[in-house]
Amino acid sequence: MNTMKTVDRNSGLPKSGEGSGLWLLKIVSGLLVIIILVVHLTVNHMLGSMGGLLTYEEVVRYYASHPIIPIMEILFVIFVVSHALLGLRSIVLDLKPSRKSLRTINWILLVVGAGFILYGITLVMVIVNRGLNL
Amino acid sequence: MAVDKNKPAPGNLWKWFDPRGRDIGTWAFILNRLTALGLTFYLFLHLLVLGQLAIGPQAYDRFIELLHNPIVIGAELLVVIAGIYHGLNGIRIALTSFGVAVPSQKALFWSVFAITAVCGLFFAVRMFGG
Repeated sequence: MNTMKTVDRNSGLPKSGEGSGLWLLKIVSGLLVIIILVVHLTVNHMLGSMGGLLTYEEVVRYYASHPIIPIMEILFVIFVVSHALLGLRSIVLDLKPSRKSLRTINWILLVVGAGFILYGITLVMVIVNRGLNL
Repeated sequence: MAVDKNKPAPGNLWKWFDPRGRDIGTWAFILNRLTALGLTFYLFLHLLVLGQLAIGPQAYDRFIELLHNPIVIGAELLVVIAGIYHGLNGIRIALTSFGVAVPSQKALFWSVFAITAVCGLFFAVRMFGG
């Protein structure tokens, strides 16, 4: 039996492997996601003319309407991708991966997360530009 | 390597699906995990398909037109319900993690459950009722 690789010094119980910093980041990013999600959903699905969805023109006009919109959407993609991947990592940690596989998983999550955040920021910038040139 | 039956290990994955002897906190946890996986899948799908915006107006508007069918709307309703549950339960977890309202966490769970059910019904009527 070598599933207990790291043991908490105070409780003697096996550690989950999720540090307190990442745990706090998961909670904080989660709460920020809730706040931005309310605005995001209200605008995108309550005000749209296409049966609750925005047309291309409505989307680009909305993104270019005020600088706070792209800023909010960029923060949103950062928080939500971080929260999703930290949550996925918690699930993986409950399966007690070996240190070696956890290292690999950490790298995969980092690369996927950074990739999606960069993709999201690029997409927001492209949309804002389309709106400004309309 | 022998797998201890009561220790968390990849070989004990099936235990996640064993409903016997669970208390309400475990159900809250299971629902939190299932909605997490569903919402994560939706998030990445959502980000990828919105790439249609970069392609152009025709591509995006044609894509949006495709979404107006009962199967997609049903899937979207599941996303909405999962989102409401996961968000409210997340607030419950955040509160109890910091020592707030710990004795009433079961009552909080039932409130989360009830609000999710009521909102789910509201959105079902709104999304399917025309």
